[in-house]
Amino acid sequence: MNRTLLAFGSGLLGLVLLIFVALSVGSAGTGWGDGGGLVLLRTPRILAALAAGLALGIGGAAQQGVFRNPLADPGLTGVFGGALLGIAILLGATPTLAWQRPWIIPLAAFLGALLTSVLLVLISGRGNTARLLITGLGLNAFTAAGTLVIASRSNESRELLTNGAYGDWLGMATLELIWLPCLLCAVASILLLTLSRSFDLLSFGEDSAQANGCNVNRSRRWAVLLTALAAAAATCLVGQVAFIGLLAPHLARGIIGPRHRLMMPLSGLLGGGLLLCADTIGRAAWPQNPLSAAAVMALLGAPLFIWIARRSHE
Amino acid sequence: MSEIAVQALGVSVDFGGHLALDGASLTLPFGNVTALAGANGAGKTTLLRALAGLIPQATGEMTTAEYDPRTTPPAILASVRAYGAQAAYSAWDFALSDFPFLSSDPVLCDAWLERLELADLRHRRLSQLSVGQKKSAHLALTIASLGEPFGKIILLDEPTVGLDIARQELVQQACLDLAFAGAACVVATHDMNFIRRCHQVAVLSEGRLIAYGTPATTLTPAIIYETWGVS
Repeated sequence: MNRTLLAFGSGLLGLVLLIFVALSVGSAGTGWGDGGGLVLLRTPRILAALAAGLALGIGGAAQQGVFRNPLADPGLTGVFGGALLGIAILLGATPTLAWQRPWIIPLAAFLGALLTSVLLVLISGRGNTARLLITGLGLNAFTAAGTLVIASRSNESRELLTNGAYGDWLGMATLELIWLPCLLCAVASILLLTLSRSFDLLSFGEDSAQANGCNVNRSRRWAVLLTALAAAAATCLVGQVAFIGLLAPHLARGIIGPRHRLMMPLSGLLGGGLLLCADTIGRAAWPQNPLSAAAVMALLGAPLFIWIARRSHE
Repeated sequence: MSEIAVQALGVSVDFGGHLALDGASLTLPFGNVTALAGANGAGKTTLLRALAGLIPQATGEMTTAEYDPRTTPPAILASVRAYGAQAAYSAWDFALSDFPFLSSDPVLCDAWLERLELADLRHRRLSQLSVGQKKSAHLALTIASLGEPFGKIILLDEPTVGLDIARQELVQQACLDLAFAGAACVVATHDMNFIRRCHQVAVLSEGRLIAYGTPATTLTPAIIYETWGVS
């Protein structure tokens, strides 16, 4: 119990500090500006990073829970790629329609993510790590290629889609653009948290979960649907960013143990913190031409992840 | 509540052309421990899983505590029967102290962890436990999920495999006590000592039920030879 309080307390405190730092750095100079003008300017970007990180942390934990596999992550399994491909197809087909209503782009991302998730479940079957990762690898490569093909053929959307593939959309954040994806991130995250009991039961295998009263098929369907929603909403905010869905649940499990009721919220908290941290480092180091959150995340996250993977096998 | 815990009439299970269970029929009362015996691949696990409601494609008539296990929602079924799988599998490295929180009845789970002599190991993670200790922890979780045993059904697949002699005795005694408290306990096992302590034994061979009754009358030299090929 004390460990739980300590973990969440220090996590929240760290996040608040991080938000203060994030509000203070940027291309217009350090500090909050006259009358806090810069704060208003930077708020949407920070909100977007927090919401996307939250959704990725919880979505990653959910995908790992449902596949019972610590290597499942929307970034590795192609679900992210599917979301971006959905957006790319929409922009390629009707570049003007996409911007007419705020829900059109999130819907396209969701359909792309959902289609990839369903393919992943159908092809990879149950339980087998190698098959899951190989299927994910294939889906990832295919969706990335599809996005690039569309980007290279479309003059209007080329830059936008390329930036999305590099996870560099946070810089475009305005309240008008982000409110719906942020809301969807929150909704998907909260609904996924209500499945935490099912994920706990699934830990002991499908037979055992079913015997203990979990409707395995229904839980799995909801988890797949909501993870796709979380990944799609996060993609609309950031573009593609790997490692958060992998790293945040790993860290959370290491800190607080694998019980999903506690681990999933902490994973969301850490996910939000990690993404905001990555974005802030990119902006602080090169204020005029910030490095994308995804690039910083990969630079810092990959070694950290390898270190964790090594440690967990000792 | 009727006195019949489990009833199966001509239950068959076809796994893609392989008939794992071939028209098995049996009736089991509450208050008894029934052993399912038979050689490897005889259909013990399949029968247990079918009775637990884990094989929706099973054919024939089946009732588990007055429910058809194939069509009853998992949550309702879970309130009247528990099922403990053979392998003590866990995807995540839980601490033993997490187990009560994973149970529907934390107090009872704690009590069973203590009864199976795992209380001193609470701070350990599953990866720091032996096979037998892990198995016992899963058993505690399974048994605790039943709550009050009277009128409930507990289906255990090889509960004593991998346990030392002391823990085997604890588990066998636990099954007998659950039956004494009014539960129906069905145990698939190869352990002859355990089988001889059960109230009944059902012998399976190649998916068919070939003998059923008290261990003393059922385990004749002829049946033992037919089932295991040993005398």
